[in-house]
Amino acid sequence: MSFAYQIILGTALDEKGCHLWEFLSDVNYESMNFKFPSMPEIQIITEKISRDELREIAKPMYGELVKAVVDIDKRIMAVGGELHADEERALLERGSRQENLWGINLYPDQTDENWIEFDSMINVRPSQGNRSRNVEDTSIQIMIRDIIRERIG
Amino acid sequence: MDFTHKELAQGSWFKLTAMEQLGNIGSEVQRALNWRKKGNASHMTTALYRALDLIDLTAEDPKWRNHRLKELLRTREIFCDFIIGDNQYGIRGPELQKEFLYYAIAARKDT
Repeated sequence: MSFAYQIILGTALDEKGCHLWEFLSDVNYESMNFKFPSMPEIQIITEKISRDELREIAKPMYGELVKAVVDIDKRIMAVGGELHADEERALLERGSRQENLWGINLYPDQTDENWIEFDSMINVRPSQGNRSRNVEDTSIQIMIRDIIRERIG
Repeated sequence: MDFTHKELAQGSWFKLTAMEQLGNIGSEVQRALNWRKKGNASHMTTALYRALDLIDLTAEDPKWRNHRLKELLRTREIFCDFIIGDNQYGIRGPELQKEFLYYAIAARKDT
């Protein structure tokens, strides 16, 4: 079984439980000429990523915007999800704490300060006093910009 | 329908609550309004398309196949009319933003 199929089956296991896993494990996909739909892959950026790579990630969503979630404590970010919530989950599963996670959008072709947009559902966190999709604390905005400079170049 | 949000269209979108769905739609609505204000037609249009993609995906969700569907499709029409039409319903941007923000807050109230 190819690695890609194992990933798909792993996802199926998460979503549907063991029975589906067992069922799918018995199917010989190699002989079915079955095409899995293209699925976006969430990437955790711990080193550096270029704007060109971001442009590639943006392509499936009309090529202009990349959703990203930044961990301001670990100074890493997740990109490539269709929703910020998916990227948030990926980071939480990696040990991030929710209070350190903030959703932003990156516009790789934008050259001014508008290339970073502080706007995400996951930012609405009444328990932390953030009651809008914006990142209301400007000191956190500065930290995020700093991490973006560090990780994207 | 060929949805842009391909992974969500495979079922994960339907697992979200109606509030979460509307909150996410609202994020794209907000982006469209922001870029409209800044005069960037390209970003405005793509945000509009993403919002419509999510609205149309929502309309396929069985939990919306009741009296709620009418409201959802009305919102779609009003939003389109405001962004790229003549705003014949006389909607104002802040009203639209506020409505969707309430959904976002409701969806994240326990965080």
